[in-house]
Amino acid sequence: MFEARLAEGGILKKVLDSIKELLNEASFDCSEAGLQLQAMDNSHVSLVSLNLRAEGFENYRCDRNMSMGMNLASLAKIMKCSNSDDVVTIKAQDSADIVTFVFESKNGDRVSDFDMKLMNLDQEHLGIPETDYACVVKMPSNDFARIVRDLSQFGESIAIACTKQGVKFSSTGDIGTGNIKLAQNSSADSDDNIVIDLQEPVTLTFASRYLNSFAKAAGLSEKVTLSMSPDVPLVVEFKVATTDNEYGYIRYYLAPKIEDEDS
Amino acid sequence: MKSASLWGRINCKGQHHFNSNLYLDYCGNVALSSRRLGKIPEVNLGVILYRNYSSKNKSLLKQKFPKMKKGSKVVAAAGGLHQTKIGNFFKRDANGSSEAGEMESSKKKLAVSSPKKEKATNSSEADEEMESPKEKLAVSSPKKEKTNGSSEAGVKESPKKKLAVSSPKKEKATSSSEAGEMESPKKKLAVSSPKKEKTNGSSEAREMESPKKKLTGSSAKKDKKEERELQSKQSDSKDKNGKAGSSKARSSTGKKRRSESTSSDDGDNQEKAASKKSSKSNGKPEAKRQRRRIVVEDSSSEEEVASEEDFKVKSEAEDEESEEDESGEELEEEEEEEEAEDEEAVEEEIKPKRKSKAIGKKVEVKSKNTKQATTKTIPEKTGNKAPAQGSKPAVPPPKGWKPDYNPAKNKYHPIDDASWEKDQRVPYLALAKTLEAIEATSSRLKNMEILANFFRSVLILSPDDLRLSVYLCLNKLAPAYEGVELGVAETNVMKAIAQATGRSLDKIKSDAAAAGDLGIVAESSRSTQKTLFQPQPLTVQAVFNKLKEVAGMTGSASHAKKISMITSLLVACKYSEARYLARSLLGKLRIGLAEQSLLQAIAQACFLTPPEQDRSEWPPKKLDCGKKCSAETLKAKFEEEAYKVKSAFCECPNYDILVKALLEVGTDGLREKCKLTPGIPPRPMLAQPTKGVADVLERFDGIKFTCEYKYDGERAQIHLLEDGSINIYSRNQENNTSKYPDIISRFSKCIKGDVKSCILDTEAVAWDIEKEQILPFQVLSTRKRKDADEAEIKVQVCIFAFDLIYLNGESLIKKPLIERRELLREHFQAVTGEFVFATSVDTDSMEEVQEFLEESVKGNCEGLMVKTLDAKASYELAKRSQKWLKLKKDYLDSGGDSLDLVVIGGFNGRGKRTGTYGGFLLACYDPDEEVYQTICKLGTGFSDEQLLKHTESLKPHIIPNPKSYYRFNTQLTPDHWFDAVEVWEVKCADLSLSPVHTAAEGMADPQRGISLRFPRFMRLRDDKKIEDATTASQVADMYKSQEVVKNSTNNKKGIDDDDDFY
Repeated sequence: MFEARLAEGGILKKVLDSIKELLNEASFDCSEAGLQLQAMDNSHVSLVSLNLRAEGFENYRCDRNMSMGMNLASLAKIMKCSNSDDVVTIKAQDSADIVTFVFESKNGDRVSDFDMKLMNLDQEHLGIPETDYACVVKMPSNDFARIVRDLSQFGESIAIACTKQGVKFSSTGDIGTGNIKLAQNSSADSDDNIVIDLQEPVTLTFASRYLNSFAKAAGLSEKVTLSMSPDVPLVVEFKVATTDNEYGYIRYYLAPKIEDEDS
Repeated sequence: MKSASLWGRINCKGQHHFNSNLYLDYCGNVALSSRRLGKIPEVNLGVILYRNYSSKNKSLLKQKFPKMKKGSKVVAAAGGLHQTKIGNFFKRDANGSSEAGEMESSKKKLAVSSPKKEKATNSSEADEEMESPKEKLAVSSPKKEKTNGSSEAGVKESPKKKLAVSSPKKEKATSSSEAGEMESPKKKLAVSSPKKEKTNGSSEAREMESPKKKLTGSSAKKDKKEERELQSKQSDSKDKNGKAGSSKARSSTGKKRRSESTSSDDGDNQEKAASKKSSKSNGKPEAKRQRRRIVVEDSSSEEEVASEEDFKVKSEAEDEESEEDESGEELEEEEEEEEAEDEEAVEEEIKPKRKSKAIGKKVEVKSKNTKQATTKTIPEKTGNKAPAQGSKPAVPPPKGWKPDYNPAKNKYHPIDDASWEKDQRVPYLALAKTLEAIEATSSRLKNMEILANFFRSVLILSPDDLRLSVYLCLNKLAPAYEGVELGVAETNVMKAIAQATGRSLDKIKSDAAAAGDLGIVAESSRSTQKTLFQPQPLTVQAVFNKLKEVAGMTGSASHAKKISMITSLLVACKYSEARYLARSLLGKLRIGLAEQSLLQAIAQACFLTPPEQDRSEWPPKKLDCGKKCSAETLKAKFEEEAYKVKSAFCECPNYDILVKALLEVGTDGLREKCKLTPGIPPRPMLAQPTKGVADVLERFDGIKFTCEYKYDGERAQIHLLEDGSINIYSRNQENNTSKYPDIISRFSKCIKGDVKSCILDTEAVAWDIEKEQILPFQVLSTRKRKDADEAEIKVQVCIFAFDLIYLNGESLIKKPLIERRELLREHFQAVTGEFVFATSVDTDSMEEVQEFLEESVKGNCEGLMVKTLDAKASYELAKRSQKWLKLKKDYLDSGGDSLDLVVIGGFNGRGKRTGTYGGFLLACYDPDEEVYQTICKLGTGFSDEQLLKHTESLKPHIIPNPKSYYRFNTQLTPDHWFDAVEVWEVKCADLSLSPVHTAAEGMADPQRGISLRFPRFMRLRDDKKIEDATTASQVADMYKSQEVVKNSTNNKKGIDDDDDFY
């Protein structure tokens, strides 16, 4: 028996919005510790790792570890039927082939439930190596989303260069070049400051369409953390959090592009 | 497609993850990426550290930590694995070139240092190390100690052994050279499973292990691991001098050790229990399990782990093995492994605590794996003898593929030379390599041999995949009549390639134009986008299923889905896989392999390695039946077998059935299993073209023959099944049943009572009911192709039956035409305008034939079919036979219209025509409006030289945009536009109305233009200026003067003026 009750159901909606562009289907692994999802996109270039801790849920019960394979497009259809302030309950019997979603409105006068068929996905669980990153940039997630959106108008890839002075995003394409520089301003206390933890300067290039997909998670939290090392996948981490509760995190890993030999 | 993954993967078990499936990163793939930067990759226990790790650094490290040597051995397996993986990787992805060489040398460097050191450390620490295992030994069972002693005996160098009770007999037994290595595995065995060893281990296990140095090496590693742990237990700061984080490492290893020792104790107990059970039978698997037990901490999921491990084991084993083969020097390899361990051990110190614990576990598991692996691979190496020992594990590992496969090899051995193993799925790479070999060879005989070799391996190792392999070789997914089509446009494949490689679509497009083959582009597109994990290697089955899935997708978003599925396939492609996958997707494999050659190859394969033999006996007896035959007898045999297979396939063109029958009964039983069956459309008999009546008479001199009208419609094979259902198939076995609901509903009227099943050969022709006459082919082609609704059918069809090849359960193909025709007329009845027999005349006079021909043309037919009637008059399935000749009006010397047309555009050629134009857009001239109107696309009638000449001569006249006075349809936009300069003479069979061409628009038909049917290039008219080209009104006149058109328009004028049918 698996049952998880989430007071702020909107969280789930946002989480789903932030992964469904990259993944068509994925399996949610339920264990005592919480709800986890790990999957690569079709081309094995990016990986989504989602972790919702059991503590984040109002009520969480998981008798046996189970893996629920879901079609994310179908899940999105179901989540569309909920309001963002609904209380969401996810239920599944052990080794069942359906999962049930119950949406209760805040004042409790409306309850809807949806069953969804589960899929049998033979997903690999991939060990992600722990890495000490050469530079870690913490910045407002809206800024990140904006930058990525703006720059992807220029070209298919975005270079991220991180130095002591700050971080520079740039992209080159047919119409020209775009550069956006952000300076470190850790002294300021305001929310929109940028903190850079730098061991050595790093410059990496990434396909912008993946970054764009990652940016969909900007609604989940105020801050985003970009971790980079030479020749190592970029990690884009968003905390899944609201003002009252911290639920976990969503991490995106993205393999860098090799310098284009064609050009 | 070359790609660089950032994280390689190794399966390993026993992680906290409840899925118990953990992937370690050995970084084989990292090797490539860092290679580019001139670094040697550094690999760790499960963690990739991207450090600048030159060999110099390494030796420094060694100096610093001489004692680590021993401890480092713990991870030897992982290290060794890593090395081999890298080696493979290079060979794999850099196509074995210089990089592989470099790799080799760097390996050697790595190898140099270790052995001496090891000894040194060994002696110094030996006493300490020995303590605990000895203790354990003592504790567990005294008997064991004896056996132990025997194994250890061989080892002279280490004091440990002296401690052990040594048995002189065994010492002799083990050869002195291997002795040093022998010691440790034995000891471990002893430690882990005393009983077993006594019982069977001593005999069997040793047998398995002793000849293989590698084995011992890997087990030695394991041993070392234990030693290291001991070491760390008693660790002094010297041990890890100077290293930051040494304390961490120590504590963590300490933990590990503790857990290990407890688990090994557990293991001992369990072992005893287990060994009692299975003491005698299989020593090897038992040993494995026990070994594993020692290591795996939480015993709950043990069994699972065990089986899963087995899977893994295989692949590693292969890797190592192949590696070994190359280097040849086993010693060296061992050293490498140690070296790698070294690094890893050092690295481990650096790592955070919690990691190292988990890692330690992994490593152990892994080293075990390698050991198992080696034991398992030994039999294969030694050839056929070993597998018979019955020591195979219960679960066949899915991996065990070798990276190299060469089906073109002389004296190919279907088992030893295959790159996969019994009951495994066939790797797609093997198929790709086969196709590659075929493509590279021009000799047809050699090609068939190559393909036959591949099939031999498939049918003996993985018979289930034979059918899929055959389909993929033919680039089909199902029999033609099932109508399974991929439905993937070229641009979509390009998009998928772009996504998979991270290159831009434009570049791929321009590359494709240059190469003329998207397959090559897919293969050579170096990926600019790294991947996180290398996807699983493709299997024939996986590819086939994916393609089928792609074919089955319909609906609005199916394009995007198809692209993403193709991308996922392409990402997993290596070497030439991408080339053939891309070509498969585009529907043209283009390897110069006709279906007949494929059938011949199947026949050869079945002769050399009979598929029907008993596979439970392994290895099967008959693996190469051609060994003793001389070349001539072999050739004759092949022909004989090929005839069986080909004729079976002619009658029953369904590979599902054919392959199934072959696997059951071999070629000899095919005749019984593959028969002409209603519901499975055989390929129809075709006719040879002739130049004229005289030609016909010449060929059929002295033979009785008949002349039939050659109706200009669509070949329709009507099948009546026993269950009463009726299917209609086209000339190419497409299922047209849903196209002709009208024929089906009327068919019952045409058969006489006693017909239960039949196959009729007929021509479906558009029919004007009111005027009772044949309509042109163009009218027929306006019918809905699929799922036609009978009520909405406007174009009526009349069936002209001319042959009967199957009747009431009996095949008639061997009977002469005269009998078949008799039966046809006897069992079927004509219904005017719906089902009639083809008009025919039996004659042998030239005049009559000529007259009949003219009649036929007037009757809106294409010409005549002339067929042998009695002698040599069987129905030749799937053959363009000399027994049938066609006499078409446009083949006649006088026939056919010739026009002078202007070239205004060119289409890029592909395949053979890459680099030149493959087709041209031609136009006629309309002097009234002073415009050029397109009339046809022209691609035939050229010699290669002419094509090249025209390409050259037209190149200077390329213009970026069409002239304002070109009238064309955007559907027919050529790749290049030309200024109108050249006039060509073109001959065609017919002129017909066309919705896309603009010639004489409004003259013959208010909306449509006129185009040429079957245009062929005759010559360049350099005597004509472009204004002298055939004019639109001339084209319209030519169109109108055609018999078919004349007949219909005349009559129409008489009755009504409605242009319904055009």
